[in-house]
Amino acid sequence: MAEAALSLRGVGHRAGGVALVEDVSLDLRAGEVLGLIGPNGAGKTTLLRLMAGLLRPAPGEIRLHGRPLPAWPARERARRMGYLPQHFAPHWDYTARELLRLGLERGGSAEGLEEVATLHGVAGLLGRRWSSLSGGERARVLAASVLATRPGVVLADEATAALDVGQSLALMRRLRAAAREGAAVAVVVHDLNLALAGCDRLALLHQGRLQALGPAAALAEDARLDAAFGVAFVRVRTEAGLLLSARGGD
Amino acid sequence: MIAWLLPPLGLLAGLMLGAVTLTPAEALSLLADPAQPLGQLLWQWRLPRVLAAGCVGALLALGGAVFQGVFRNPLAEPYLLGSAGGAAVGATVALLVALPLPTWLALPLLAFCGAWGATWLVLALARLADGTSVAALLLAGVAVAALLGAVRSFLMLALSDETVSLQAVLAWALGGVQTPSWPELAVLGALTAAALVLCLGLARGLDLLGLGEAVAESFGLPVRRFVALAVLAGAFVVAVSVVWGGLVGFVGLMAPHLARWTAGPLHRGLLPRAAAIGAGLAMLCDGAARALLPPAEIPLGLVTAAIGAPFFLLVLAREARRG
Repeated sequence: MAEAALSLRGVGHRAGGVALVEDVSLDLRAGEVLGLIGPNGAGKTTLLRLMAGLLRPAPGEIRLHGRPLPAWPARERARRMGYLPQHFAPHWDYTARELLRLGLERGGSAEGLEEVATLHGVAGLLGRRWSSLSGGERARVLAASVLATRPGVVLADEATAALDVGQSLALMRRLRAAAREGAAVAVVVHDLNLALAGCDRLALLHQGRLQALGPAAALAEDARLDAAFGVAFVRVRTEAGLLLSARGGD
Repeated sequence: MIAWLLPPLGLLAGLMLGAVTLTPAEALSLLADPAQPLGQLLWQWRLPRVLAAGCVGALLALGGAVFQGVFRNPLAEPYLLGSAGGAAVGATVALLVALPLPTWLALPLLAFCGAWGATWLVLALARLADGTSVAALLLAGVAVAALLGAVRSFLMLALSDETVSLQAVLAWALGGVQTPSWPELAVLGALTAAALVLCLGLARGLDLLGLGEAVAESFGLPVRRFVALAVLAGAFVVAVSVVWGGLVGFVGLMAPHLARWTAGPLHRGLLPRAAAIGAGLAMLCDGAARALLPPAEIPLGLVTAAIGAPFFLLVLAREARRG
């Protein structure tokens, strides 16, 4: 089996005496889209921030392409890893061109900016300031900036949270395209049906622990999913695949 | 374009204005003929004074631009943040206390320590509240600036004696550029150029910091180390400006804003324009300070405050509307 692009072994993180993530081990492989799912407070965002190197695991270790994450020089790591935050609001009113340039410069130069803009469908937005962009346009510009260096690992933290259905699907398609080009993609997804449709494997988190990890279709049938969310899911089989519908709760 | 026009305009206005007001043609012809008595006066007194004011303005603008970038706050500026106040306390100690160091060394050294310490104090207080929000930073800055103002006043009252003119220290504290000798001006000019180079070295990091700490970190910026470095650089810039110009408020607020309006938010373009605008503004205000009540001079800090305070309120209102 190919070496994992990002591997986590026994990863934990505590804040204020509370364990937010505990003993998580998983491999993120090149070419796959891994969905991190779980109820609120499950530790998905904390885990993704650990994977991105924004938080330090204690205990445990995270390796990027076989090398411990802290051992990577910051710029090298930035070139190889893209992080899409849950909320992004730049403090200054950058233009789309400026944002794309900042993303592209992680690779050492801003050459090829126009090509990257065309590839990500933001060529027509380059001159526009952030404040004048719609929600969907902002998501496209941010994704273009983060994916500009074609990073080998892409981590997206509920990047679809503020988007409508069409925009969410478009962003998932963009992440899928990155995976097809060889990137290892991990994405925190709140909408379980979006996760089922857009991810190859799912990692179910609950109370900071990894409850289940497996192919999306198999995990959708797993009773641990119902237990983690505290609901009995109704599983509807359609031509497009399995759909989950929540009924009841306590 | 406007940014680059301001320094020559400020220089011309600075040469024209004063106890004796000149027309532009008179100022230029006297400048071209230093053999004339009035030409000599212009070269020996007015020109170095105007250029020194320009350097102080450029330094304040650079300090403001760096602090606005570091704090990601459009209202951050050396005067309001308390860093200029910290530098002033350091400088007051250097002027009034007999130290085992020569004044030329003690003054910039203590001013730097004061600016650095005050900026960290404001940053720490703002973080205790809610990070770098406009309100938290302003309140912390106001509190620290008030405290430092009280400390400075106490030092001035307690330590001044017949050997040190209280009025001279007070005039300096209110903001004012003294006429330097040409060698002194060369030192100030070199320090200003060094400050510009230093700040330009921070440009990319400041741009990335504007994306928020998480994205900046993921784009390869070691945020904590960079903020520490940028605060150090900002403190150096502010200390040099305070040593040469006293407490001059609002230039560090206005110049980066005007530069951002003309050049956009990327610091590679913003910093040199802010420096140019700051230099132009300070030269204009210094000219006005000399011309408004001849033969007396109004402290430069009063003139910049008269223009800067309404500007500050305008920016505050804009920020409040943005939420």
